[in-house]
Amino acid sequence: MSAIRQISPWYLRQARRRRNFTTMLTAFFIIVQVLWIGVPIFMAVLWSLVDPNHPWSYPNILPSVLSWGQWSYVFKYTNIIRALKTSYTLAPCAVLLSFVLSLPTAYVLGRKQIPGKKFFQTVVLLPIIMPGMVVALFLSRVFTAFGLAQNFFGLVLAHTLMGLPYMIRVLTTSFEAIPQDIIDAAENLGANTFVKIKDIFLPMVRPGLLAGMVFAFTTSIEEFNLTFVIGTPTFETIPTILYSFLGYNFIRTNASVVALIMMIPNIIMLFVVEHFLKSDYLSASLGKL
Amino acid sequence: MEKKPNSSIDYLLLVPGVGFIVLFIGSSIFITITQSFGILSVTGKSQFTAANWIAIFHDKESLDSILFSLKMGLMSSIGTLLFAFPVALFLRKGGAGKRFLASLIKIPLFIPALVAAFLIINLISYHGIVNEGLLALGIIKKPLRMLNDKFGWGVVAIQIWKNMPFVLLILSSSLASIRDDTIDAARNLGAGTFSVLFKIFVPLAMPGILVSMILMFIKAFGDFAIMSVAGPTYPPSIALKMRNTATLFQEWDKAAVLGVIIILTTILITWIYSRLAEFVTGGK
Repeated sequence: MSAIRQISPWYLRQARRRRNFTTMLTAFFIIVQVLWIGVPIFMAVLWSLVDPNHPWSYPNILPSVLSWGQWSYVFKYTNIIRALKTSYTLAPCAVLLSFVLSLPTAYVLGRKQIPGKKFFQTVVLLPIIMPGMVVALFLSRVFTAFGLAQNFFGLVLAHTLMGLPYMIRVLTTSFEAIPQDIIDAAENLGANTFVKIKDIFLPMVRPGLLAGMVFAFTTSIEEFNLTFVIGTPTFETIPTILYSFLGYNFIRTNASVVALIMMIPNIIMLFVVEHFLKSDYLSASLGKL
Repeated sequence: MEKKPNSSIDYLLLVPGVGFIVLFIGSSIFITITQSFGILSVTGKSQFTAANWIAIFHDKESLDSILFSLKMGLMSSIGTLLFAFPVALFLRKGGAGKRFLASLIKIPLFIPALVAAFLIINLISYHGIVNEGLLALGIIKKPLRMLNDKFGWGVVAIQIWKNMPFVLLILSSSLASIRDDTIDAARNLGAGTFSVLFKIFVPLAMPGILVSMILMFIKAFGDFAIMSVAGPTYPPSIALKMRNTATLFQEWDKAAVLGVIIILTTILITWIYSRLAEFVTGGK
């Protein structure tokens, strides 16, 4: 090996060195990233498995006894099951409503050239840009006036509002990507509006639709401000339960169980988006703000 | 693009999505503004008054919390940028293991803010792994107070961890548009690593840097959940102060003043950004 190195010209040696350097750099970044993401999650898992009868306190590096005790405690004595039911019925309702509302809007924003389009595209982003607590507090005044506060339908409306920007943006990108030739060809062959929607638009925006639904769904699952102001105490979702565990009565073991319950479905969904969709929908919905 | 001029129907089709957003966001902004001047007031009688504004600007706690929130917005946007930029540069070119790395990095994007707050609290608490690690290495003599501390390091740490991938996505899309030819040309003309970094990558990625900083600032400035979990006891963040004023003390009019201040700051920052972006891209 050393003989080869000696007779190989300098530029090949330099290229090899550069390759080794890149590999080392990659390894370094991967290790840092794995620690950056892995350690916080690992600690939460560890905390959720601490046995209730053997507390984990300062001098011990690791908890002495592990058990599922905390999990069964949380499911037995807190409102978590009811919160899970609320969260997971609220989210599909909000996703469905935001899908129905965003389809015509995304069609116009994606395929039509209208005056003021840029303005409308900015207005669509308002729910993400506007500070959440301001909207939540003063929307709750409006909701109270119309009897929508402390009301399931009111919560659906609020969650729809927060999911709409993602849904509209992703669908707009999908509509933009449909080649005009296909539509022209279909029109030439006598397709009417209904056929165009059924056979061209819906099938071609389906990947974007899936991505938009995942975004709207996770947004609804993690929505805190509006739910907290408009929904509590009548309705509790997983974030508001977690907030109560992190706030006045900070019980780390309980909080870690709830945090994991909330986090795991979201991470699974991230990988769904990453692996089942070819183009980069994350940047489509967030990148080009 | 279809060319048929049929725009009245087009505008009608915009109504479900855009109309819904305008109705809800618009009404909440409208109520915030009117209520800050005592009109449409719930508590007290409804008549025009600037008393709430004067009261807020004479209240030391309100001023402190405005300053504190501004500081947190600035610190979080700078901090997230400093962490995300090297990673974005590194991920610019594909390579061994980078696809895996790229999807690993995005995980915090899908972790709710409160969960992120909890995860980082575990690490930086008084006897958390960070403090214990630093103690074991002999870097510090006694544990640092990073949670609910006066400066707000805990808040900044949580904001950086949670929003790194978000900023990374924005930076990546603007770094991706830099052509390799530009870099090769600069290297050919004798530019070193630092010249390439500060004379090519940073200026050409400037629009992305500005967008990400502005969005981070707005997020961190108006944040409620993370600040109330990891922020200092005094001063409260402006969103926390507003919520307490409204729901604990039932002074909705004063809370509305704070709300208008948050909205105005957001608009002001966005406006400054658009002027900066014009300046950077040469008025295009």
